[in-house]
Amino acid sequence: MSEYLLQMTGIDKSFGGVHALDHVNFAVRPGKVMCLAGENGCGKSTLVKIISGVYTRDSGQVTFEGKTIEKITPAEATRLGIQVIYQDLSIFPNLTVMENLAINSEITANRKLVNRKRWEQTAKEALSKIGYDIDLHTKMGELSVADKQLVAICRALLFNAKLIIMDEPTTALTKKEVDALFKTVRQLRDSGIAIMFISHKTEEIFEISDDVCIMRNGKNVYSGLTADLTKKDFTYYMTGREIEDDYFIPKNISKDPVLKVDHLTWKDKFQDVSFELRKGEILGITGLLGSGRTELALSLFGLGKVDSGTITLNGQQVRITSPIAAQKLRIGYVPEDRLTEGLCLRQPIADNIMLSSLKQLTRTLGTIRHDELFEKSNEWVKTFSIATDDAHKHASTLSGGNQQKIVLSKWLNNDLDVLILNGPTVGVDIGAKQDIHALVHDLANNGLAVIIISDDLAEVVVNCNRVIVMKDGSLVGEMEGDRITEENILEIIR
Amino acid sequence: MKHKSLEKYSYTFMLLGLMAVVLLFFTLTKGAMLWKGDVWLGIAMQFPEYGVVTLGLMFCFICGKMDMSFMALGNFATIMAVRYMAGRADSPAGGVILVGILIALAIAACGGLINGLLVAYLDIPPVMATIAMQLVWTGLSVALTNGNTVKGLPALYTEIGHKYLFGFLPVPLLIFLVIFAISYFLLQHTVYGEKLYMVGTNIKAAEFSAINTKRMVIGTYILCDVICCIGCLIMISTLASAKADYGTSYVMRCILILVLAGVLPDGGMGRIWNVLIAIVTIQIIATGVNMFSNLNTYYASLIWGALLIVVLIMSTGAGSGLMKRFTRQKA
Repeated sequence: MSEYLLQMTGIDKSFGGVHALDHVNFAVRPGKVMCLAGENGCGKSTLVKIISGVYTRDSGQVTFEGKTIEKITPAEATRLGIQVIYQDLSIFPNLTVMENLAINSEITANRKLVNRKRWEQTAKEALSKIGYDIDLHTKMGELSVADKQLVAICRALLFNAKLIIMDEPTTALTKKEVDALFKTVRQLRDSGIAIMFISHKTEEIFEISDDVCIMRNGKNVYSGLTADLTKKDFTYYMTGREIEDDYFIPKNISKDPVLKVDHLTWKDKFQDVSFELRKGEILGITGLLGSGRTELALSLFGLGKVDSGTITLNGQQVRITSPIAAQKLRIGYVPEDRLTEGLCLRQPIADNIMLSSLKQLTRTLGTIRHDELFEKSNEWVKTFSIATDDAHKHASTLSGGNQQKIVLSKWLNNDLDVLILNGPTVGVDIGAKQDIHALVHDLANNGLAVIIISDDLAEVVVNCNRVIVMKDGSLVGEMEGDRITEENILEIIR
Repeated sequence: MKHKSLEKYSYTFMLLGLMAVVLLFFTLTKGAMLWKGDVWLGIAMQFPEYGVVTLGLMFCFICGKMDMSFMALGNFATIMAVRYMAGRADSPAGGVILVGILIALAIAACGGLINGLLVAYLDIPPVMATIAMQLVWTGLSVALTNGNTVKGLPALYTEIGHKYLFGFLPVPLLIFLVIFAISYFLLQHTVYGEKLYMVGTNIKAAEFSAINTKRMVIGTYILCDVICCIGCLIMISTLASAKADYGTSYVMRCILILVLAGVLPDGGMGRIWNVLIAIVTIQIIATGVNMFSNLNTYYASLIWGALLIVVLIMSTGAGSGLMKRFTRQKA
């Protein structure tokens, strides 16, 4: 038997004229964690779908446990012991944990009657495989993403999985949950199962993986031991360019605060939060999921409630009751969830850019000049080098980074005093992330007051000159300048 | 560039093709009978009343909402209007008619406001809210009239529905064209139209972009129900009376036309020209089926339904794949 569990050589796949995979080689060793890394659209998902049998390769060789596999179908992949845990987890949210775990084996065994005892047994056996304890009768939909993931892993183990592929499993997890997940991953690895871990987060890849395979534009540009790589090399392979961390240095901070928040409280969401923000500053607000950071932002943008406390803008106490009021007070907000809160995907890029500043385009009788709309948005497309040849195309045709630039330009087209960015680079690849950070630095240095809300600590450390930390709805720490380090923040959060 | 703009109108071409097929079918089976002036005048007289109603509902659909109450509301509004007009035979007809029309439109606007409030402020799913309102309006109408027709419209008013302007332009068609022009202007050239498509596509993103989405939804319901009421005002003119259950089949017919035209209730989609083509096609089918003296008129709805299925299949991914395979084999 060969050293490798799964070995793929010279894999090619084209869709129409697009060469999605170009002679990709890679291998997975049993009992090791292999990371498949790459920016969005580099071919990672295509590769996974070929392994799991969803797509058929155009050419190339696949061997599993030393045997050449000619054609992989989803059923064949399952039989071989390949299990994929997709991002959406493919669970039934309205069924219980037990039903979710047992349903597959019941269907495979072609049973027609329900025997709850047998179901319970199957489910218990599955959970015991990773020593995971949860009430079997909880509805799946009520669980956190982290718990759902563990259940999905248990389900995969029921199929005697030899290779478990996890597609960006950490996207929606908090740091603590990531740690718990990694513990389980190591446990699986030690029991001899090969794990293939798909990610684009540098820290996680270095923390968890033994081997790494980096893809760019459908080719694999590096495969080998993770230990042989430096973080700098890694970034270079991912993006194809050298990227330095560009720390934000505030150039002209105003004397008086533009925004002052005093003892702000939204019952059961956050309480007694006070801070000041000056022009030219980038203030970081960080904390775990559920710490109240998003709710605080929503209250500043008129979508959350204010039960007590005050907000003062440019020396005047204000009440912000709606996004329209916030806009009048020159506050802009780039929301956390780009797809549901930030964009009208099925509409043109141009219309999305101008969405919050239609007043500028209003003529007599409420008419609108479409050529003007297009012209103005084209300026933004140029300024931010949004990757499109035609702003009439739908926003859905763009990648995450470019979509985020649309949401940014939508607000920058308004005259703003305060810009709140919630998770500005979630799901954005490293290259575009760098662009967005540079842009925000420029904005601040040109006199905008910026708030970055993020749980990506590296992002907060590099981009903010001041950071406040929230925990369970309260402000638990504030730091400035050199005192902002990941260690210092973690110490407060934990 | 030219190619791209063609692509934008591909759905329009498909609908025109469909219309051509329908015309070809009736020409082949009925020959010259179809191509008489009377037949086309009949078509021009018949489609405006539900055509106007369809244009009203179109706004609702583009906004991503649904309205099931518009005919019940329109009937109630016109019943109230006819009751007002019927009691005033001795006053000058022009003034009475004007007030009657205003009464109907005001009631429709209130109905739209209620729909909008229920949906925008109380977050009730649009279908549920408007079905409930449909029952309320129907119930009120029946209670007022015992389910009987309400007659006594001034002669001048009933003439409108049968009159020709300049001897060739039916007045209902003229009203339809005016409403069409206004709708076109609203959708294509106003900030309201721009917002409507965006709100319909993603109401949450629109709210986060400082657009008053509640006002948009309420305004759209009012606009929808007022335009629908204009359709009902044409209807009572041709029928010379009002009744609690006139035109109830129009609810489904309007939805059918809109979906056929690619204006899906998911919101944010659809072009008004396609709606026009769909309205006319539907009427041609109805008229064509009528020419077969041995066929029941209900065959028209059978054809409508089949047509809708064909269009839906063609617009799904599977359908276009089939089409491609078909055309490739031919080529």
